[in-house]
Amino acid sequence: MNEIITDYTTEEKLNILADAAKYDVACTSSSSDRRGKKGFLGNTKACGICHSFASDGRCISLLKILMTNHCVYDCRYCINRASNDIPRATFTPEEICELTVEFYKRNYIEGLFLSSGVLKNPTYTMEKMCETLLLLRNKYHFNGYIHVKTIPGASDELLATAGYLADRISVNLELPTAESLSKLAPNKSFKTILEPMGKVSDTIKAHRVAIGKDARMERSRGNMYLSNSIFQSRQSIERQEGITEASVKNALVPSDGGKLKRSFAPAGQSTQMIIGATDESDYTLIKTTEKLYQSYDLKRVFYSAYIPINEDRVLPQIGTPPPLLREHRLYQADWLLRYYGFRANELLSEEKPNFNELLDPKCDWALRHLGYFPVEVQRAPYDLLLRIPGIGPRSAGRIIYGRRYGTLDFDNLKKMGVVLKRAHYFITCNGHRLYNTPIEESYITRQLIDTNGRDNWKVNNQNNTYTQMSLADFGIG
Amino acid sequence: MKIFCCKDRFEDILTCIYDAWSCALKEGHNNIRLMREPVWQQSLFDEYIHVDADREKTEKVIRSIKKSISNQAYFWVFYASLSVEEDALQSIYNFLRVGFAVGAGVCSMYANPHVMRILELKRRIGNESHYFREFARFTSLEDKAYVCHIEPKNNVVTIVAEHFADRMPSEHFVIVDDNRRVAVVHPKDEELYLMYLTEKEFDVLSRSEDFEDEYTRLWRTFFKTIGIKERENRACQRNMFPIWMRKHAVEFKE
Ligand code: SF4
Repeated sequence: MNEIITDYTTEEKLNILADAAKYDVACTSSSSDRRGKKGFLGNTKACGICHSFASDGRCISLLKILMTNHCVYDCRYCINRASNDIPRATFTPEEICELTVEFYKRNYIEGLFLSSGVLKNPTYTMEKMCETLLLLRNKYHFNGYIHVKTIPGASDELLATAGYLADRISVNLELPTAESLSKLAPNKSFKTILEPMGKVSDTIKAHRVAIGKDARMERSRGNMYLSNSIFQSRQSIERQEGITEASVKNALVPSDGGKLKRSFAPAGQSTQMIIGATDESDYTLIKTTEKLYQSYDLKRVFYSAYIPINEDRVLPQIGTPPPLLREHRLYQADWLLRYYGFRANELLSEEKPNFNELLDPKCDWALRHLGYFPVEVQRAPYDLLLRIPGIGPRSAGRIIYGRRYGTLDFDNLKKMGVVLKRAHYFITCNGHRLYNTPIEESYITRQLIDTNGRDNWKVNNQNNTYTQMSLADFGIG
Repeated sequence: MKIFCCKDRFEDILTCIYDAWSCALKEGHNNIRLMREPVWQQSLFDEYIHVDADREKTEKVIRSIKKSISNQAYFWVFYASLSVEEDALQSIYNFLRVGFAVGAGVCSMYANPHVMRILELKRRIGNESHYFREFARFTSLEDKAYVCHIEPKNNVVTIVAEHFADRMPSEHFVIVDDNRRVAVVHPKDEELYLMYLTEKEFDVLSRSEDFEDEYTRLWRTFFKTIGIKERENRACQRNMFPIWMRKHAVEFKE
C-alpha cells in the first residue's frame, strides 16, 4: 500500500492532505523575532500572525498539511489509520515547497506546519520530511516559520536535522496515560514518545546555553514575580540546573554536523493531547500538563476535543459531540499554570478530579478559598492580585504601576482592564467595596454562575471566540 | 487666534509645529492652534496661516525632540502624525509642550491627558498596521511582482510596507493605499520609496486585483478544507474576521 503512484493533481492532494491534518490543533506562529535577509523569503515575529479564520472560527496561521496520509500504524482514533479505506495521497517535496513559498508571498500564511502519516517506517518518513525541509530552506531560501511534527521511532540524527531546520518541533503525547496509549495506539508507546521529547528538550537547552541564553525557554514576564509558579518550583529548577551539563552530552547531532548553521527549534517544543476519547479525569490531564512543562520545558501543551470519526467499540460513537466546554476549561487551566502562578493540585485533586462545568477554574478556586478575600488592591502583592477573578497579568501589572503614583478608585480599576463584574466580590479599594455584597460562598457562586453561564452557553453552542487563545477571550484576563 | 495649517505629510507637519512654536513664544501657546488641511470651516475671527514643508526646520524639530525628550517620544510623534483623527496635529503639539517641559520622563506620565491622547493615537496606528500584516493579500503579476491593495483609515501604508520589506526583501512588490492613492514600491533588494499616483497609474494598478492564478484557487481549497465541520462556528469566524474586513481576502470570494 505504500507509495502507490496516483495521478492526483496538487489541488486534489491538498484537499486530501489538509483534510487529514486539520485535527491537529496547534497553529501558532509565535517565535522569537527573526529578521528577513536578502536573498531569502520570510521572517518570524514574536507575537505570531494570524492570516485568516476558518469556518470553525480557528485561526489560520500556517499551511497545515500532512506529507502523506498513508500510514502503516493503526491508531484507533485516527482517520488515517491503516485499517481505514480512504483516498490516500503523498506530496512530493517540491509540491510542498512551492505551496509554502507561493502562499507565503501572497501573505496567506506565516509558514508551514508539516506532519505525516507513517510511510513504510518512521525513519523513512522522517527522511522524506527532512528532505522536504532541507529543500525548502536551502533551495527555496525560505526563512519563515516551520513547525514540524516528528514521527515517534525515527532515528536521532533525523530528529536533530528536523530540529535544526524547523522553528518548532512537536511530538504528540496523544493520551495522558500509558494504558490509554497502548489501548488506542498499539504501535506507539510512552517510551517512543517521551524519549525523543527528552532529547529534543536537552538539545534545545544545550543550544540555548551555547548561544548565550538561559537554558530555559522564555516565559511570560509576570512569572518573574511569582515565587511559586510551576516554572520556578524547586523540582523544576533542580532538574534544569543539573541538566545543563548532561544536556550538552545528550544533545542531538544531525548527520551532516554543523552544516545547517541554524538555531535548534528556537520556538521550542510543544505537544498535544486528545480529550474525551478515553476516560482520564481533568486532574490527570492537568497534572500531566504540569509535568510536561516542568520536565521537558515545553513551550505549549495543546488539547484537542475528540471528534469521533471512526466506528470503534472502544471509542465514543460517531455523532457524539466533541467535548468543547471541557477543552475550554483545560485551556483556561493551562493558562492559569503558565501565567498566573497556579499549580495543578490547587485547581483539582483526587477528590475533585474534574472542572466545574458552570464556573471557570479561577472563580472556582476563589470560591473554595474565600478566606483570602477580600483583597485590598491598594496593597496586595502581584501574586495575590492575580488570584482575583477578573484581574489578569496585564491589569495586575497596571495596578502595581498605577498605585505608585496615587490611590486607586474603582473607576481607575475599570480603565486598567479589571473586569469588575467578577472582581468586585473579592476586592476592596482603599477599604471600600463596590457594593455591599456578602462574602459568602453560596451567594457569590450563584452570582458568578450567572455571569459565567452566558460564556458557557456560548462554548457549548459553538458560538464563542476562543480560537487562538488570548487572555481576554477567557474572561479571566 | 492664529491657526497654523499644513498638508497631511510628515515634513509639513513638523514644519508647521516649528512655525507655530516660534509664534507661540511671542503670543502664548494658548493663542494658537494647529490643523491639517483641508480646513472645512474657516471662522471669520481667526487668522489662518498655511505652512509649507521646509527640510531644515523639519530636521531641527526632529533633533530637538530626540535630544530634549527622547527617541521614544519621537517615535510616538511619528506614529501620531499618521493618524486620521482630526485633532492629531494639535495633540502632537500638546504632547510636545509637556515633553519639552519635563523631558524624557514624559513617556511614563500616564495620568496626563495629553500623553494619554498621543498614546491612544499611537495605539490605533499600531493596531491598524498589525491588522494589515495579517489580512493584506498580494496578487502575483506573472510571478514577477506582487501587488497589494489596502484601504487603511490611518496613513499606515509605509509602516505596513516596512514589515513586508523585511518579510520579502528579494521580491518586487507594490502596496497601494487605494484611499490616498499613494503606493509604496519595493524593488527587489532595494529600499522602499513612496509614489503619489497619477490617475493613469492608479487605474493600471487597480486592475491588478482581479488577477487570479493557480495559487489563489489552491488557497481557497485549503481554506475550505481546513475548517472542522463538527466544530463549525460561523459566529466566531465573523467575530474574529468581520465581514466588512474581508473585501481583499480572496478566500472569501467565490
Ligand atoms: S501514526 Fe497513528 S495518529 Fe499518526 S497518522 Fe498513523 S494512524 Fe494516525
